Amino acid sequence: MTVRNSPQQPHRRAIESAVDELRRQAGPIFTALEQSGLPLAITDPRLPDNPVVFVNDAFSEITGYPAEEAIGRNGRFMQAPESDPATTARIRAAIEAGREISAEVLNVRKDGTPYWNRMFIAPIRDASGNIIFFLSTHFDVTQVHEAERIHRDLQTGQKKLDETNERLRFTLAVAGAGGSWEWDIVNQCLNADARFSALYGLDPIEAARGVPADVFFSAIHPEDRPRIRIAVAGILGGAEIFSKEYRLVAPDGSLRWVHARGRCHFDENDQPLRFTGVLVDITEQKHVEERLRIAQTAGGIGTFEYVQGFGTVSVSDEFCRLLGLHLTNALPVRTINALVMPGDPPVIEQSPGLEGTSYAEFRIARSDNGEHRWLARRGEYVQDVETAGIRFIGVVYDITTAKQSEERLRELNEKLESRVEERTRERDRLWSLSSDLFSVCDGHGHHTAINPAWTELLGYREDEVVGTRFDAWVHPEDEASTHEHLKAVLRGDAVGDFDMRLRAKDGAYRWINWTFAPAGDMFYSVGRDVTQRKQLEDQLRQSQKMEAIGQLTGGIAHDFNNLLTGIVGSLDLMQTRISQGRTENVERYAKAAMTSANRAAALTHRLLAFARRQPLDPRSVDANRLVTSMEDLLRRTISESIQLELVPSDNLWLTLCDPNQLESAILNLAINARDAMPDGGKLTIETSNFHLDAASASTQQDVAPGHYVAISVSDTGTGMPADIVAQAFDPFFTTKPLGEGTGLGLSMVYGFAKQSEGHVRIYSEVGKGTTVNVYLPRYHGELDDQDVPSGLRQAHRAEAGETVLVVEDEPVVRGLILEVLGDLGYRALEADDGPSGLSVLESKQRIDLLVTDVGLPGLNGRQLADHARLLRPNLRVLFITGYAEKAAISSGFLEAGMEMITKPFAVDDLASRIRHIIERS
Amino acid sequence: MSVDIALSELERDALTELVNIGVSRAASSLRKMIGEEVILSVPAIEILSPKDASRLIEEREAGQLVAVRQQFEGAFAGRALLIFPEETSLDLVRAVVGNQLSPDEVAEMEQEALAETGNVILNGCLATMANMLKRSLDISLPEVIRGDGPLLFELLHQRAEGGLVLFLYINFSVRNRDIRGYIAMLMDLPSLAALQQLIADFIERVVGKEVESVSSKGTDSQNASWQA
Repeated sequence: MTVRNSPQQPHRRAIESAVDELRRQAGPIFTALEQSGLPLAITDPRLPDNPVVFVNDAFSEITGYPAEEAIGRNGRFMQAPESDPATTARIRAAIEAGREISAEVLNVRKDGTPYWNRMFIAPIRDASGNIIFFLSTHFDVTQVHEAERIHRDLQTGQKKLDETNERLRFTLAVAGAGGSWEWDIVNQCLNADARFSALYGLDPIEAARGVPADVFFSAIHPEDRPRIRIAVAGILGGAEIFSKEYRLVAPDGSLRWVHARGRCHFDENDQPLRFTGVLVDITEQKHVEERLRIAQTAGGIGTFEYVQGFGTVSVSDEFCRLLGLHLTNALPVRTINALVMPGDPPVIEQSPGLEGTSYAEFRIARSDNGEHRWLARRGEYVQDVETAGIRFIGVVYDITTAKQSEERLRELNEKLESRVEERTRERDRLWSLSSDLFSVCDGHGHHTAINPAWTELLGYREDEVVGTRFDAWVHPEDEASTHEHLKAVLRGDAVGDFDMRLRAKDGAYRWINWTFAPAGDMFYSVGRDVTQRKQLEDQLRQSQKMEAIGQLTGGIAHDFNNLLTGIVGSLDLMQTRISQGRTENVERYAKAAMTSANRAAALTHRLLAFARRQPLDPRSVDANRLVTSMEDLLRRTISESIQLELVPSDNLWLTLCDPNQLESAILNLAINARDAMPDGGKLTIETSNFHLDAASASTQQDVAPGHYVAISVSDTGTGMPADIVAQAFDPFFTTKPLGEGTGLGLSMVYGFAKQSEGHVRIYSEVGKGTTVNVYLPRYHGELDDQDVPSGLRQAHRAEAGETVLVVEDEPVVRGLILEVLGDLGYRALEADDGPSGLSVLESKQRIDLLVTDVGLPGLNGRQLADHARLLRPNLRVLFITGYAEKAAISSGFLEAGMEMITKPFAVDDLASRIRHIIERS
Repeated sequence: MSVDIALSELERDALTELVNIGVSRAASSLRKMIGEEVILSVPAIEILSPKDASRLIEEREAGQLVAVRQQFEGAFAGRALLIFPEETSLDLVRAVVGNQLSPDEVAEMEQEALAETGNVILNGCLATMANMLKRSLDISLPEVIRGDGPLLFELLHQRAEGGLVLFLYINFSVRNRDIRGYIAMLMDLPSLAALQQLIADFIERVVGKEVESVSSKGTDSQNASWQA
């Protein structure tokens, strides 16, 4: 074909000449090329843009472009827009370099259809080696490309399918959905659905179309395969039901557990036709089952499943173990229920219409050993999907231990209850039979419950007492102490042993001894009637008092007799000597009489002090001086056979006490010592400073630590055993024969020491002697100046004309006083009662001082003084009073210019007082 | 229980399957006879002494039992028993012959009906098994016997040598009827050995060479699990 109608006019001539040259060069080959079936084209690189100068018919055929449309254009006009730029660049580069090149490019035919063009382009050179043309051959390789694409697509599709299958397998596994199969026994062919295929890793399409029956075993794990082959053989041999679990090996090597459930279908001649079934992925279920099995075994939980209407129950191994049965998976209901003890609920309820959940506990006798066990069964009735019946699914487990503990607990409780009941009964009996008062009181002290003893003892009914306060009928004198104790118990303190009187309904008081026991915000009280005891105590005290008085009077009489003997004897002797005219020794007798009389006076004074508990009159005392001053008295008190030694300490501290009492105490101790040494011995009186430190004091609870002055009186006498020592300070305790001691001596010493904030210690050993130490507190002040008057001194003497009126009904005393006044140079007037004294006072006589007894018949001393003051306002008065009356003339009694002196008094005292009063005016 | 003759797991599976086939057939026969669903348990296979076998039954059924017994001989020999609690046997009869009969008629027919039912079930079962093992069995006529577990298993099996029997039992129960029972097969040791060989042949047939490779690989673990 020649190029005649080429549209590319500008090149036309050049192209034509190029073709001519081609023909010239190629010669006859050109014709062959022209007619060749191989599509080819020739371009001339010497012309601009290397245009096509020749194409053959075959080229036009595959490109759709006739020669006249192709010639004059560059070959690239055929390239599709999506041609690979790299390929076209490669072609361009080869042509420019004059190399040959082979390439496949996507071209577009004239009608617009694309095709793959495999090109081979080779340069044609002239004799001198210059490139004059490019020859290109073309080959449509679209089909090859298509095949490749299809193959690629196919591969992609397969991959996608695999992935889908994989996903499906997972989905099925998760969903538990099954794949189904149908095994055509006659044709040995297996049809399976997509799910089955997914699990087996089969091509679903092929599987749906039908595969050889043996494929059924293909994916089964080798270890499971024989087993399944046997089972399938059973089905093929006429067995009906197929239910097997086995492992499948997935294409990726992973294992899945499946459960295949199938059934054989038979023809009318009972020949097996088809074997159909469902395959379920139970991998997860297996894990769960395994865990469940372990949990059940570990927990001792047996499971069962019962379809109503059936005679047997599906059971687990653990279920059989719990009942002591041979391991099996099905048991008759009757067998199971027969193990339950009569009267207990059955394991499996068979009555229809049951639903929901059910729980029961029952005892069984184990089948193997008859042992009794407690079991619990928990189950649920569910609608059975397959049979539309009711399925009872549940568990049993052993609760024997729990039941036993429960039982023990119950027994214990029962025992406890009965014990409590018994105890309560006992308590009740105690409560109702006791003669003691029992009551329960609330937090405010109100009775909330009382026992019958209240009625019996006090006559109050229960309703009269309950609700009243504890102190409702308390004796007024006991109210204070009762309140104290109530407060204590309501604070939570236990209170024991306190006595108080309660008024009974009849008005009489009963002594009750109470014990309170607090209990939370209430308290219990127990009261014992101690009225009789109190009465007995009173009687005892009375008799003790009488005894004491007897002893006292006896002792006093003894002491007085001694003293009176001294006085009377002395006076006797005085009289005798005076009548004999031998007056040289009279004074000695008078002194002796005086001493005895003084002692008698001191005795009565002490008695009164003891009786009255007279307060002490503490002053600073130098114990050394006091003891020394007593030496004469002591020597006269003790017998000749006793040696007296005084050991005063140097630098002795002062002490603060009542000197009279101290004197009395020493005298008492000396007398005791004397009496302890009937056969003679040594009496030692020592003084010393004594320091009691805190440590020692703590062991002697009644003594405060500090400095003390100690006065110890020791004898070498009989001593005392410990039990006597222990009682030595008790009042009225005496070891002396009746009538020889008051029993007050040591008791008074003790009382004095304690009152002086000191203490007394006795050290005694039988046969060796006794030491009594009196400790008196140290005094840091100055010594009081004590004027110790002796005899009627000149200072007491009256001045000229001083007149004293004495009114005293007791003539001896009056005479004594008058005599003293006379001795002192006073003018003395006398009256023996108030009225006569008053008449003297009404006279114009000079009277400087009225000395009057307080207790006068008719007009007492006080009244007399008052009258006298009306007449003589500035009259000074000295009252004489017996000790007993002192109380009656306490402070306020004495006005200015009035004083008082207590009987018995020393004459010297009287003289100094009289002088003192008169001088003060 | 000590076992002289040990079945491999595969043999046990195979035997179970054989019994399953037989019993399936029997159950389907029974189903056809009484028109109710029949539930079968998976067969349990034990090799134990007759005493243990009777205890096994005893612990399930304390009362009197009725059994239909058939003896079989051939490649292997033994007795097959279809056992019911006595109190349900009449129910079975009634189920088989229909409800329209009076109690007296039912009682009259009991022996015969039981024997026939037993024959259908046992014969079906045994024949199927023999067929699968490609052997034939001579099966005696059924006889109905009554007694408790010991009687059925001990006195009736005085011949047992070695004191061991294959005790194969299946519970079955019939829906909506209080009917349940067991199928037991008693074989002595020589018969057991023969049966074992037949089973091995059966496995060989069914599984082929696959077994060789697998069983040699799996024997240890299988035996281990067996004894567990």
